[in-house]
Amino acid sequence: MRMCVSVLIHIYDESLPSEGQKLSTPLAAILALTEMMEQSNAGTMFELLTELKGAAEALSRQSLNPIGLKAGCELFIEFITLFPHDAASFSELKTELIRQGQHYAEQALAYRAKIAELAFDFIKDDSVILTHSYSRVVLQTLLLAHKRKRISGEISGSNATCEYFSSHVLCFSVFVTEARPRGMGIKTAEMLTAAGIPCTVVLDSAVAYAIDKVDFVLMGSEAVVESGGLVNAVGSNQIAIIAKAANKPFYALAESYKFHRMFPLSQYDLPSHNPGVLSFPQTMSARARPASSGLPSKASSVLFDNGSPIRMTQEDIARNNPDVDYTRPDLISLVFSDVGSLTPEGVSQYLVGMFAG
Amino acid sequence: MPVPEPESASAESQSLTKAQKKAEGRARQEQQRAAKAAQKQQQQSGQNAGPSSNKSKGSTVQKKPALESNKIPSAAASSSKDAPTTREGAVGADGLSDGPKSRGLRIFSHFGLPKTPGHQIKGDIHPAIVKLGLQFSEFKICGANARCIATLTAFKTVIQDYVTPPHNTLSRHLMTHLSPQITHLVTARPMSVTMGNAIRQLKLEISGSDIDLPEQDAKDALCQEIDNYIRDRIIIADEVIEDLAVKKIKDGDVVLTYARSSLVEKILLRAHSLNKRFSVMVIDSRPLLEGKTLLHSLTSVIPPIPCTYALLPALPSLITDADIVLLGAHSLHANGSVYSRAGTAMVAMLAKEHSVPVMLCCETYKFSETVMLDGFGKNELGLLSINYFFALLFADAVCNQTAPMKFSLGASNSNLEVLNPLYDSTPASCITAVVTEVGLIPPTSISSIPLALGRTTL
Repeated sequence: MRMCVSVLIHIYDESLPSEGQKLSTPLAAILALTEMMEQSNAGTMFELLTELKGAAEALSRQSLNPIGLKAGCELFIEFITLFPHDAASFSELKTELIRQGQHYAEQALAYRAKIAELAFDFIKDDSVILTHSYSRVVLQTLLLAHKRKRISGEISGSNATCEYFSSHVLCFSVFVTEARPRGMGIKTAEMLTAAGIPCTVVLDSAVAYAIDKVDFVLMGSEAVVESGGLVNAVGSNQIAIIAKAANKPFYALAESYKFHRMFPLSQYDLPSHNPGVLSFPQTMSARARPASSGLPSKASSVLFDNGSPIRMTQEDIARNNPDVDYTRPDLISLVFSDVGSLTPEGVSQYLVGMFAG
Repeated sequence: MPVPEPESASAESQSLTKAQKKAEGRARQEQQRAAKAAQKQQQQSGQNAGPSSNKSKGSTVQKKPALESNKIPSAAASSSKDAPTTREGAVGADGLSDGPKSRGLRIFSHFGLPKTPGHQIKGDIHPAIVKLGLQFSEFKICGANARCIATLTAFKTVIQDYVTPPHNTLSRHLMTHLSPQITHLVTARPMSVTMGNAIRQLKLEISGSDIDLPEQDAKDALCQEIDNYIRDRIIIADEVIEDLAVKKIKDGDVVLTYARSSLVEKILLRAHSLNKRFSVMVIDSRPLLEGKTLLHSLTSVIPPIPCTYALLPALPSLITDADIVLLGAHSLHANGSVYSRAGTAMVAMLAKEHSVPVMLCCETYKFSETVMLDGFGKNELGLLSINYFFALLFADAVCNQTAPMKFSLGASNSNLEVLNPLYDSTPASCITAVVTEVGLIPPTSISSIPLALGRTTL
């Protein structure tokens, strides 16, 4: 079992960077679990499921932000549990399950194209889009829209003016937030600019300044949770709040394997939340304490050592800050997924129907 | 109806009523055309009076407003009508016999009326049901789960004592024996959604029971089904909900709850037994003051859970300290609104205002497919009479040593009516999550759970 898990983690890690451009965390988890099934020598369904659950547990312990990964594992285990057990022998059933798992992962790669098709209809000419951080599905949607618009521009544009429009005035432009601390927004901006889409990087703190120029927000996601809300790179929530305040639509893009059976009641109810996040530095509390508890002089010397030079690196700040945040369903206008464009209520009904049935 | 004689008699009287009503209606139409609306209602009630044997619940609900509306214009006409309409007549008279008033509560007359404890027994009612009826009307058994379990347990006794008459089969006849029992319970206090759902399931089981089965076996099988229902939909469901809800209570949390829900009580006790360090704010309200019971059980464990007890008016200053709000429910409706003890809506709205997450704890068998828009469409009136209410108020004042009550009891209060609805409706937007035995879900998604719709068997 232990060996199994280490192999599994290896597989998972390998599948992530090698196809990094294409594969998202839940899919990588599904592929890793499929791979593990192939190598496992479980003799019964129960053993297999226990093994899979153990592996999923181990994977999520390995990862700093296990939400997307858990969604994938959960989906796969649910699939295995509900799969009709009518094969002649267990080994046959297992090969069938493995085949189905790989088949699903293959198919799932096409989901982004489907979502891009759905979202494409919402991108009108001359629209200004705000997006956050780096999301493969948002990128694919924007690239598709750009390609389509240009082609349609060239077809209709037989005369010189239209030629001018199609080549110089592009159909939409994009604001990308920088998305500290990881700065993934820069990557998005580079890729969009390379494709010829006009793109500006805005600071995370400048979203409210920019929002009036924006027509709608396109947001990727790590997971869509049962409330219909969204878990995504930190900053998504404040963008959603600003968009709501400015009455701009907020669209989320999520493949259906990112739907996760989890119900965060608040930001601090997320599994990624730990006491370290938003904690106050030791010196601060030590400084506040002496008056009440009368700490010995040792504490004040600690204060002196750590407190006097104020060194704050980006890493220090990132350590005390969350990676992801939770966006409430009432801030989201629509969720585009491969099962259709859903309202947040629709997402929760889909999830309830899938898992609680 | 079980016994043939009363049925034919009542049918006769009903047809008589119908004729009477029509004649009366015509006369009145000539006299005063302004009372057209009331007239329409009256005719409707006349039509409904016929096929009422099986749909006892529906007919009582429909008839009551008609009765009330009749009483308001002319007391004489209503008294002539009350006599023939059997059970509702008796009840209506009880509810209004306090004096020459009934001018207040006009727009609330459709609420379930408060009953006098010693309401009359009509027909062949099993002693267990009579006892239960009294317990219901005196609020000795109160709360959706407790009432449902008590009803089902009483029905088990009724079923065991039932003997199929000759030339009849159990699957066809038992329900006709049970419906007056149900009617009796409804007369004691309007039926809860939980009881309705359980009885619907019971009817299904009865109609599906095998004709060829020996009678005792069939009865045992039915009792077994009832036990299974109580076990699966209430007891086990509660355990699952406890597990799920406890996970959301973290160390150092302040949990706020309103009145007393058996489920919330169990969740808090479970969290305590898991050594979670949390404190509880029990918010309560008159006239039932159910929170006191909760407070007692929370503080009598060892070590006691730290509790704060406050009445509803103090809530705005306390809500800011709460980390999570746990609420119970009477029923949950298709549009996600929650029908619960009066005051719950205020707690939920205030919590939403202060962005405190509100978790509603509710088993799926409390789901009702109806839509509830506000607390006026359907509700139930609390206490028995104005005198009773003032007696309570007075007793309270004496106990608390507060200022003496200035109200005098009796005839001088004839212009004063007490409105005491038992429930209110909380909109779905004020509920963060509903904890059910199938997991945490948003309130609007409950209708997509097949279990809630009763698609699965008992």
